[in-house]
Amino acid sequence: MDNESALSEEQANFDPTQITRPDPSLMTYYFIVAVLTTIGFFFLILPLVFKYHTLRYKFDDKGVSMSWGVLFRREIYLTYRRIQDIHVTRNIFQRWLGLAEVAVQTASGSAGAEMKIEGIRRPELLRDFLYRQMRGARGETEPQVAGEAAGEPVSDSDEALALLQGIRDDLRGLRQTMEARS
Amino acid sequence: MSGRAERAAAWVYEGLWGVLAQWFRVPKEPPTLPVGAGEEVMSFRPAAGFLSYLKLWFWILCLLIDVGIFIIWVVIFVKSALAGVLLALPALFIAVVPDIFSFVAIHLRYDTTWYVMTGRSLRIRRGVWVIHETTITFENVQNVKVHSGPVQRYFGIANLVVETAGAGGGEGHGKGGAVANRGIIEGVANAPDLRDRIMQRLRQSKTAGLGDEDDHDLRAGAAWTRDHLQALREIREETAALRKADAA
Repeated sequence: MDNESALSEEQANFDPTQITRPDPSLMTYYFIVAVLTTIGFFFLILPLVFKYHTLRYKFDDKGVSMSWGVLFRREIYLTYRRIQDIHVTRNIFQRWLGLAEVAVQTASGSAGAEMKIEGIRRPELLRDFLYRQMRGARGETEPQVAGEAAGEPVSDSDEALALLQGIRDDLRGLRQTMEARS
Repeated sequence: MSGRAERAAAWVYEGLWGVLAQWFRVPKEPPTLPVGAGEEVMSFRPAAGFLSYLKLWFWILCLLIDVGIFIIWVVIFVKSALAGVLLALPALFIAVVPDIFSFVAIHLRYDTTWYVMTGRSLRIRRGVWVIHETTITFENVQNVKVHSGPVQRYFGIANLVVETAGAGGGEGHGKGGAVANRGIIEGVANAPDLRDRIMQRLRQSKTAGLGDEDDHDLRAGAAWTRDHLQALREIREETAALRKADAA
């Protein structure tokens, strides 16, 4: 259980807004992937090198964007609130390098994940960060703050009903006196 | 299997796990989910019936393949006795070694499958070489399906499929559930019970689970705010004054 409390402290110190570039070990991983394809090595290594060098992340308080590419640039932006599910995939090389692929799905119709965040150190911290931003991860079906501020909903519908009835009675009285006069 | 052989098998399996955990970074401990104070966490794995179910298919497949290998070997032996004798050992090797591997793989698959459920979300982890982990909050769940075939029913197990919005994967892609919009809770004995728990959560939820950015008004069912009440009070005062002025 000591392990757990240490993790939560790390979690508190984990700041994804600091992350802009993937970890250098991602290039190692890409290299291994390319080597494993043997004959495909020279075809694969160039796009991967380009991807690694142009990959940028931007985490802000509402969402995350990811961009890469030299000739064909791609940029994906999604908000945390629209995340549907988080998939973390770790193959053996990624585990050795301490990496993971954190795939995030939204409700759009595209097959596969909308965003695959690669090359993040301590991916479980990122996963938990994203999880806590997801809808339903915290108590949201209950109102989070008591309705003290002006714009917050209050459940005082009795007073509202009484006021409405008072207005109705006043208007009815007005109409009756006007009718009696005419 | 005698007691000693069983112990030896368990010892070898333990050792294999040690190697996997040490060298292949296979996590031995169940996954966790961050929870607030006082929230319960349910951590479970497939029912024992799931192991029997997997083993049944294993034995059927084993038997079919090994009988096939044996028949081929007999045909070779009848045609040429020398070739038959020479091929006897390789044939035995082909017949037995893959069986042992897949038997161990079944146990590993069973032991690395974990489901974690809290009142709010679900996390599924499975896999040995490639470890897939899926996290879904119940707020986003669209539907829950329970599947069970006749053989699964015999073992008293069922698969629970929890789906979110989105078209990721599709039915054919769902094997392993890698990056599909669903979580598959395979081989659990209490599938209807789990389904009811999740469905109860869904009914309490006030949103459609599509990532509504601003769902303050949907919460708690209270549509009147302080501003509304204040405006109503002012109208009421106005009408009361009007009536008084009219009567005068």
